[in-house]
Amino acid sequence: MDLIQITKATVGHLTPEIVLLIGGTLVMCASVLTSKSARENIHTQRNNYAFASLLCLIAAVVARYWYGAPSIAPGDLGLFRFDASALASERLTFLGGLILILMSWSTAPKGRLAEYYGCLLIILAAIPIVGASNDLVSMFLGLELVSIPTYILLGIVKTDNSGAEATLKYFLLSAFASCFFLLGVSYLYGFCGSTNLSVIQASFGEGKRLMALGMLLAICGLSFRITAVPFHFYAPDVFEGTSVTMAGAMSYLPKVAGFVALIRLIGAGTLSSGASSVVIPVLLGCAALTMCVGNLLALAQNNLRRMMAYSSVAHTGYLLLAFVALIRQDASPGVMFSYLAAYAAMTLGLFACLGEIEAAGGKSHLIGDLAGMFQRRPAASIGLTVALISLIGLPFTAGFWAKFMVFVSAVADRRVDSISMLMGALMAINAVIAAGYYWRILSTLYSKSESQVPLRVFRPSLFFAYTICTVLTILWFFVPSAM
Amino acid sequence: MSILIPLLILVPLACALVIFFSGPRAKAMVPFGILAALLTLLLSVGLCFEVYQAPSRLAGADGVTEPTIEPKVSFISDTLRFVLPISVGGHPIDWQLSFGADGISALMVLLTGIIGFFTVWLASSQIEKRTETYIALLLVAISMLMGVFLSMDLLSFYIFFEAVLIPLILLIHGWGNGKNPQAASKRFLLFTLAGSIPMVVGLISLAMSPNIHGQPSTVSFSELSRLASQAVSSGLPVGTKDTWAVWLLLLGFGIKLAILPLHTWLPMTYAAAHPNTTSLIASVVAKLGLYGILRIVIPLAPVALSIEAQMVIGTLGAIVIVYGALVALSKDNLREVLAFSSLSHVGFITLGLMSLTREGLGGAALQMFNHGLITAAMFWILSMLEQRHGTISLKSEDRGLAAQYPKLAVLLVFFTLAGAGLPGLNGFVGELLTMTGMMRVCATLVAIAVLGTVLGAWYGLRIVQRLLFGSDGPRVDAQHRSLSGTDLQPREWLPLVTIGVLCLYIGLFPMRTMKLFQPDTDRLAKLVEPVSKQTHRDMDTLVVESTNP
Repeated sequence: MDLIQITKATVGHLTPEIVLLIGGTLVMCASVLTSKSARENIHTQRNNYAFASLLCLIAAVVARYWYGAPSIAPGDLGLFRFDASALASERLTFLGGLILILMSWSTAPKGRLAEYYGCLLIILAAIPIVGASNDLVSMFLGLELVSIPTYILLGIVKTDNSGAEATLKYFLLSAFASCFFLLGVSYLYGFCGSTNLSVIQASFGEGKRLMALGMLLAICGLSFRITAVPFHFYAPDVFEGTSVTMAGAMSYLPKVAGFVALIRLIGAGTLSSGASSVVIPVLLGCAALTMCVGNLLALAQNNLRRMMAYSSVAHTGYLLLAFVALIRQDASPGVMFSYLAAYAAMTLGLFACLGEIEAAGGKSHLIGDLAGMFQRRPAASIGLTVALISLIGLPFTAGFWAKFMVFVSAVADRRVDSISMLMGALMAINAVIAAGYYWRILSTLYSKSESQVPLRVFRPSLFFAYTICTVLTILWFFVPSAM
Repeated sequence: MSILIPLLILVPLACALVIFFSGPRAKAMVPFGILAALLTLLLSVGLCFEVYQAPSRLAGADGVTEPTIEPKVSFISDTLRFVLPISVGGHPIDWQLSFGADGISALMVLLTGIIGFFTVWLASSQIEKRTETYIALLLVAISMLMGVFLSMDLLSFYIFFEAVLIPLILLIHGWGNGKNPQAASKRFLLFTLAGSIPMVVGLISLAMSPNIHGQPSTVSFSELSRLASQAVSSGLPVGTKDTWAVWLLLLGFGIKLAILPLHTWLPMTYAAAHPNTTSLIASVVAKLGLYGILRIVIPLAPVALSIEAQMVIGTLGAIVIVYGALVALSKDNLREVLAFSSLSHVGFITLGLMSLTREGLGGAALQMFNHGLITAAMFWILSMLEQRHGTISLKSEDRGLAAQYPKLAVLLVFFTLAGAGLPGLNGFVGELLTMTGMMRVCATLVAIAVLGTVLGAWYGLRIVQRLLFGSDGPRVDAQHRSLSGTDLQPREWLPLVTIGVLCLYIGLFPMRTMKLFQPDTDRLAKLVEPVSKQTHRDMDTLVVESTNP
């Protein structure tokens, strides 16, 4: 295949992302183009922007269906590779995007609607680009295309002190992490003489320890995106200092981007024994630390957002365990994608419920604020209950299969060594600790409280958002293959 | 294919959902809930008959390679399968779920049906607030319990095993009327999860054990038990990897059955939950751990169990008998006394299971049923007493309730004696068999256990003496309750008398009941007795002539 054909095929398969990018840019420009009178009615404006973004998303989905699953892979030398992982990451992104747009419908910042939806759409376009990347350059491009709009979003949704702190913290640390990534990538390039991932993976030979160092540096850079310990310090502050919707987005979108990049960087069964003897212990140690630190710190929180931030850290730990299993056996990354899908449904569902409680005039800052919420706001409380049961990992929710699959992949590793069995046991202990703090929220919901004022304001978009999440959470239990 | 099996799981669940979603008419749904429970009871009786009449296939000449677990009635649907995007050793993970019942399952299903129905029946008069929701949650719990007992593979067993938690937590949290139900429900949740989540690692490694022989992994009990018995008969050495799994499984099941160091959730939960809820927990849910050991640990990992854990768990069982009895003697709150007495009696069943002999396993299975009946009845009596007098304490005075409530007094004495193991009642048969089984392996443990029966009679008679008899004569408590002073009404004595008749029947004709599950426990014993004999060289040295034909 010559270059022109490859480019044509690539552009064809990237249509959904191109649609989203163009859509995002147009939405962002729309605030300049609309007349002044149209800018005055805030409700019409909210509806228009949200509807336009939803339309872009739908157009992207339609474009994907139009092209169908890519039949030919445009050579290993191209910038992009369209395989099952690329499609799965696209699916995850669009699912998250749909819920986030619904959540934003009534919570987006008033004067900055155009920028808000524009940035959101660009992030949604960027994650599939990371997922399809077959080259360090395209991967870095995709990752930066996720980060830069995120800075803007964090900056505009909340303009008080805590918002500014969150934005600055995220910006500085994220730039720092990108530097780590670039340093590692430059090592890889220096050793292989190519930025193509297929070439790099093929040249992992014995004894190339320094290449493993480059890989480790790149993993460090990505660890920031997935909030793995010790790169997690920003998470609680950012979650606390931003809006509920953005907290939901921050817990999900960067995680998808980071894990997808990890899967691309270290594909299944590509590491040589020399490189894996360096990378795997580091990843396992990181996974162990991440779950323990996340869960233990979450246990100590009274602030709901900070607790969810640490819970998001803990889930990263479980995912890293699944990732190690993926590297070791020549398995498909389906377990991780299923986990991320379940995680999307339960975490975004939880944040949507909190968003609805806040939109209706309640508070959801501390756990105690939710006391008696079942009487005050039954629908949101049921949504929260399902999300929390799923987060604990009890049956009849998607969270059960998510945890179960990680356990299976950890135990399957037992053939390689017994450490992973120990890791499975460690994860089990962590899941019990996690049940402790999730149960605290649950029992608070149903406890009695003095203020019995029902919250009556109804936001259909938020209601739809968590209804979708709740239904998916329960549905996926019965059809785990659809996860 | 038996249609009864899906019905047993789905009927109570569907009825519970109807009650949940009945909206403003919910108050009127109580009779509907009772009907649903009755239907479940009838279905479980039907299942028992079906299992009873199914042709029993005793292991033939090549008996050892036949599966140890073989459902007599089964329900397998091709749509119920679980495919994972991982392949282990070249085999993709494609697990077929299956349901079925052999004698042991049928017995436990019957127990769940009986206790479930009467719990719902009594709830209608004993639970004052949100009765219909309470009944709906009970029905969900019954459905999940049926699922555990009817599942014939590791995966659905585990799903239902975990799912039982959800309704129970809500029942304890929402309707508990004792000491701090919130803290108790949290402790119950965390303890149970602390056992069951590590347990899943053990279950998965059992499911993957065929991979060692180059076969695809499976979750089916009959497949796995066939492999286990093959391994035993060919004398393959067991790797250290199996022992991991056994300990993890025993941790999970041990917490459910409240083995000694892991028991602290039990008294707290029993003291906090409504006695009606407690009757279901004590009589059926506490059996899940024992059932799990009987169904999974013994047939699927016999060698590792016998080498590693048999004596440890057996000793803990013997200790818990004496410990529970002693604590029961020292407590004054009747809820706590009953909680510890239940703990003590479960010790006998553990002892019987860990003997790994024909008598011990059969006795344990029978005693699981017996203990379920007796404990539930005791908690129902407690619940009725509390409805009349508030918290029942044995501390201060001889209350002389016998004069006031003659019917209740007779039943209380009857069940106390059944619990203490009076010959002619069911407790005697089960405990005798479990001890006979253990006698063949380790006489010291039996000596300790016998001490427990003496103490058991002591605290049982203490309850009777302090509550029923005494010089003070009838007296009405300061807090006047609606029923105080009235003896048992028909709707109250009906469940107790039914259970009493069952106790008497099993006590007089134990072999008729045991016929239901004897073939299954015999098949199990045939597998594990040789294994146990290898580990314990001095087994059967006390018994001159073995009763095993």
